[in-house]
Amino acid sequence: MSDERVPIRSYKRMKEIMTMYYGMAKMSEGTDQKIAWITSGGPVEILYAAGITPIYPENHAAMCGATKIADSLCAAAEERGFSRDLCSYARTDFGSIYTKNSPVPGGLPKPDLLVCCNNICDTVTKWYQELQRIFKVPLFFIDAPYQYGMEDGPEIIDYVKAQLEEMITGIGELFGKPIDPDKLNYTIDISEKAAALWREIQGMLAHKPAPMNSFDTFIHLAPIVTLRGTELCIEYYEQLRDEMKERIELGIASVPGEKYRLGWDNLAIWFKIKELSDKFAVGKAALVVSTYPESFCYQAPYRDENDKLRSLAATYIGGYINHGLDYRERDLLHMVEKFSLDGFVMHSNRSCRAYSFGQYELAKRLMQKHGIPSLMLEADMNDSRAWSDEQANTRIEAFLETLAARKN
Amino acid sequence: MAIETLESIGLFQAVCADPYKTAHKASENGRPVAGFMCSYSPQELFHAAGYYPVRITARHGGTPRADEIIQAYSCSFARSVLDRALSGEFEFLDLVVFAHTCDTLQNVADLWRSNRPEVPVVIVSGPTLTAGKPAQTYFRQELDRVHGVLESLRGKISYEAIWDSLHLYEQHRAMMRRLYAVRRARPDLMSGQDLYWVVQAAQLMSPEEHLPLLSDLVESLEAENGEAECFQPRVMLAGSVCEDSGFISAIEEAGCTIVDDDLCMGSRSFLLPEAPEGDPMDALTHIYFSRIPCPAFHRPGFDPGQHMLERAREAHADGVILLLTKFCDPWAFDYPQIWNTLEMGGVPTLLLEVEQNVPAPAQLRTRVEAFVEMIQSKDEL
Repeated sequence: MSDERVPIRSYKRMKEIMTMYYGMAKMSEGTDQKIAWITSGGPVEILYAAGITPIYPENHAAMCGATKIADSLCAAAEERGFSRDLCSYARTDFGSIYTKNSPVPGGLPKPDLLVCCNNICDTVTKWYQELQRIFKVPLFFIDAPYQYGMEDGPEIIDYVKAQLEEMITGIGELFGKPIDPDKLNYTIDISEKAAALWREIQGMLAHKPAPMNSFDTFIHLAPIVTLRGTELCIEYYEQLRDEMKERIELGIASVPGEKYRLGWDNLAIWFKIKELSDKFAVGKAALVVSTYPESFCYQAPYRDENDKLRSLAATYIGGYINHGLDYRERDLLHMVEKFSLDGFVMHSNRSCRAYSFGQYELAKRLMQKHGIPSLMLEADMNDSRAWSDEQANTRIEAFLETLAARKN
Repeated sequence: MAIETLESIGLFQAVCADPYKTAHKASENGRPVAGFMCSYSPQELFHAAGYYPVRITARHGGTPRADEIIQAYSCSFARSVLDRALSGEFEFLDLVVFAHTCDTLQNVADLWRSNRPEVPVVIVSGPTLTAGKPAQTYFRQELDRVHGVLESLRGKISYEAIWDSLHLYEQHRAMMRRLYAVRRARPDLMSGQDLYWVVQAAQLMSPEEHLPLLSDLVESLEAENGEAECFQPRVMLAGSVCEDSGFISAIEEAGCTIVDDDLCMGSRSFLLPEAPEGDPMDALTHIYFSRIPCPAFHRPGFDPGQHMLERAREAHADGVILLLTKFCDPWAFDYPQIWNTLEMGGVPTLLLEVEQNVPAPAQLRTRVEAFVEMIQSKDEL
């Protein structure tokens, strides 16, 4: 088999879709079309049902990271008094607002409203408070309490549902146009359909050899983040799924000669995504599952077809990172089994305390209780100023040697 | 300063010098001890359940044990309390109480309970949103759940018992507010360092022990005649916790008079609204939703800069010093806005980045001295 890596064809389509999405959003700035800035774990279905264009500052920050302008944007935020220790996504976006520097010409279109759900972290709570101070527009805040236990209590689901109801009414009142319940139900349905497709695609990486890897899923998650609740999102993931099917049938491996199968925990390291993908591929290690892209197809145990909003509330409590360590351990173990993992790469992400604190404990449990080794990669998702190629490469090589020794 | 005042403050200082002596003593006398992590823990409930409440604090020194289970980019408070727990320094506790606040402490709670499973950990998972009916309903349910957990540990806890504790806490908080009022009006009667001993002792002693000593002190201070001499510049201290009084003395030695604070371990613990009569759980809910929100929370319409400016004006402060614990995200996010609002309002602000497990560095004094000079030259203009 050739060692040549076969690129994923759908990538081109995804780039077109994302360019179109940002282009159209930018064009609607200053028109009657309403724009909302929303967190990646926010209930976007309500916005699409209301005909509001959602914009994701987190996705935008990741784009800035991947296009390597994040460092200068972070520095611009630091000049305004924001500590260098704060989340680099937040700093990137603040910097982009101040400087208008962005992969989107002129920067993101200004919001008419803000939607923040703290199911991913409470950093977004603070981030959106600041956005509200900057833009002086209404903020809809959805509080999804952190789950310290394994089960989500019914009172928590009720609490989130009540807030979603307030948001639906609030947005209707804000623009003098009530949200059509049928349209909302339909949007929830197609959003679920997209999530199911995304789940199916990620499940396909359980195949040996994996048809794509986590570095690809990080890239291909942009539509599920930004467009879930639209037909376009479904169309795109059907295409990607079909391509993955084809790759499996043809025996196309993401990492030719795949020897090791690894999981990835935490966000991507955006400014090194290509280099890291190559580095692991050279070592014949395929990253086949990641806790982060999985979050966007989280399925809550509670479901009620007759109460779609309550089901939506149960989903928006969130999965992996809004739950305690016992829950996370269970999820990681499930991934080890389903994807036949040899180990985990844990991106200890300086920017993300919610995600990262607990990784040492989880790595310890994986090793002691289940014999699964982990590589702890100290980095940051967007701020490259503390990154060292040399150090990272040494650690990755050492880890792969450990895996080799274990295999023999 | 009157002799009685000096003696009284000496008592509080002695408590702070050996922070957990009072709790150990209570424990030896058969009273279970509950350690709580922050001012959002509903102490009244634990007190009503018979626990001796004591605040879990950081301490000076390295954190080698904690460093094995949490990254170095966690705040020094988190690392220090974890290290203390792992080192067995909290073995006298019968219960550990966390309140849900920030991303860091939510993970610390989990790390604590998985690494120290022998002592029960109760996490009060209150809402981050502190406004509106849904959040209130949810918090009330959470309090009921915690009440149930406590009953399973300690037996029946009646509403009367909760009210008794609530009333005691309210009396104590009212007296603390009187102490702060005296401090603002007459900074010549006691130093900011002295106030700190009383404040810290309040978190290391149960209210029934602290209140009588506090009342004596406040009454003797209020009985003092005369006018305050001019103490300049008057400064308000703000931030999360300030575990080491050395920061207070260093700031005062550099020429400031600390007349008020907006600290979690300080006035934020006492500046709570009075509880309405009726259902005690509703009363606790009312307090949670009406108090000045910690920066880790969200209250629609709350403006941290404006709040700080108003507090500073009430205290007739000439400046504000913000003690920012490194890696404390909630405060770091608010800081630029607080700084801007205070500067626009004519109140100079100094940011001091601090570590909770390291003594005040010498260079801190130099920076405060420069701040004092800046305020004084501004007054001369």
